[in-house]
Amino acid sequence: MSLEAGEIEQKYGIPTVAAAGSNVVSFGIGANFTYNTGMPIRYVGVPFPFSGQPRSVLKAYIEGKDTVTGKPMMHAIVDGLTKSLTAEEKMSGTPPESTPEPRLLPADTEDNLQRLFKEKCWTDYNPVIIPTQERVAAMMKGTSHKPDEIVKSAAGTFGTRRPFTVEKVATLAVMAGAKPEYLPVILTLASQVPYQDSTTSIAQMVVVNGPIRNEIGMNAGLGALGPNNDANSVIGRSMTLIHKIIQGYDEGVTGFASLSNPLRYDNLCFAENEEALPQGWQPLHVQAGHKPTDSMLTIFTGWNFINSTGWVEQHYAPQMLMRDYMSTLSGMGAALIMDPSVAELLNNVQGFATKEKLAEWLSRNVEKTAGSYWGNSIVSSMLGPLGAQGLEPYASWKKLPGDAVIKPFTNPKGIHAVVVGGKTASVWFATDFMPGPSVSIDAWR
Amino acid sequence: MDRRKMLALLGVGPALVAGAPSYARTAPTATPEATTPMTDRLITAVNPAVTPGLPKRVPLAPRLDTLDGKTIYLVDTDWGGMGQNASILEEMQAWFAEHMPAVKTIIKVKKGNFVTDDPALWKEIADAKGDGVVLGVAG
Repeated sequence: MSLEAGEIEQKYGIPTVAAAGSNVVSFGIGANFTYNTGMPIRYVGVPFPFSGQPRSVLKAYIEGKDTVTGKPMMHAIVDGLTKSLTAEEKMSGTPPESTPEPRLLPADTEDNLQRLFKEKCWTDYNPVIIPTQERVAAMMKGTSHKPDEIVKSAAGTFGTRRPFTVEKVATLAVMAGAKPEYLPVILTLASQVPYQDSTTSIAQMVVVNGPIRNEIGMNAGLGALGPNNDANSVIGRSMTLIHKIIQGYDEGVTGFASLSNPLRYDNLCFAENEEALPQGWQPLHVQAGHKPTDSMLTIFTGWNFINSTGWVEQHYAPQMLMRDYMSTLSGMGAALIMDPSVAELLNNVQGFATKEKLAEWLSRNVEKTAGSYWGNSIVSSMLGPLGAQGLEPYASWKKLPGDAVIKPFTNPKGIHAVVVGGKTASVWFATDFMPGPSVSIDAWR
Repeated sequence: MDRRKMLALLGVGPALVAGAPSYARTAPTATPEATTPMTDRLITAVNPAVTPGLPKRVPLAPRLDTLDGKTIYLVDTDWGGMGQNASILEEMQAWFAEHMPAVKTIIKVKKGNFVTDDPALWKEIADAKGDGVVLGVAG
């Protein structure tokens, strides 16, 4: 909203006041101004939560206090439009650059450095490996790229400028406990910042495909989603450090995830079990148009991770239970993560010759009520306005009674299947994780 | 219930949960660091921090002397997508009507959704000689 308010102010010279919930207003006034817009937008803060409140409460909020200034809300709005600009609000031009971070930290003991890293939020609060020059130099042997090469500049949340080098990523890789051979995967992860954040419990999932899986010993089999493999664990942890240190995610300053998500400790990092795919089922990266010999990484973003709990039963086909569980998801996209034994049953017994055939069936058969669909605020925020503007099928769905049944997964291409696991149980997860582009790991070797 | 039967019921073989005893693992190899007391040794670490770039400062538009006789647009970003914002903006409009009747207010709903821009609306407001904008509500 700061960008829109800034556009109205700057392009048209119209004074503007932005209203935001008290949960996020400090971001607009603080980090967003400092690192993103450079424009000190005048905000008023509405008590949170306002969504879901009856009209009487909303009226009381408007008649009550602005959470930013403590003044009556409407007086604060009038002031925002009429009160003369302060010296800060009149400032223009380039601000003094922030003090460049030195390449090296002052020498200190292990204990003090561990303490410093925690104080600076350079950790997931598990101990890190202190990145000595020797360790970072050894890590750099994992790539042919030069240490001072800029990986990306627009690395901050909302694309703010936080340029970082290959050596910076190698430093974080050391801290996470990586081996040099993991570095191309970790550089690929870093090249994809900023990762999506939200006040909701959003999270990421990392899927690796291609030859590098086996070259660096990633686990695509038994226990692949658990803490049972060095490469999976450490690469996943690296992503958390990249998010916090390179992207600059700082809870309460640049990010406001109310509960956050335990998946953010390790970001569900695993390799697809390509060797165990049934005949006709393609690996994820091949589905995306890449060669089987390409090593690729795909970052999914989502919220929900529903466990099949038990194994596939003869009296209820796996796709039927997947359909049932998926009815609780938003409908905006899904990823089914399944053991190879489930994929075999779907292929050999249920006749799904490809992943795409399974997705088409689920798209046709998952159902939920219109009330439940619009009850999800991510759906209503993203698609509700489009429905109000006439975009189908959302326009028709908005007019339905709450108990009317709809098929929310309108696009089968939004349903993905990833095969992983050790074939000790025919289990699976239904998730609403949606993929970004598959990107080349080979480019960072 | 017998533990073995319980595990079988869950589809778990006892061998899977037994694993190897931790004492059976290979003892760690001594490293040079391990021979020096870590608490005393000074270490020079590479700094993981990134230097953030700062955007150019942009001044705000000059403010209005008064709102009397002015037209203020109350722009609904449609955050939430189900009309919640409209209620808040309608309450603002009602407040202006009651307490500052000389102010004309117009409610507009932004196109797209809360994450998309609507430059056509900003131009429409400017072309209509809008004097001020209240934009909201994000949450």
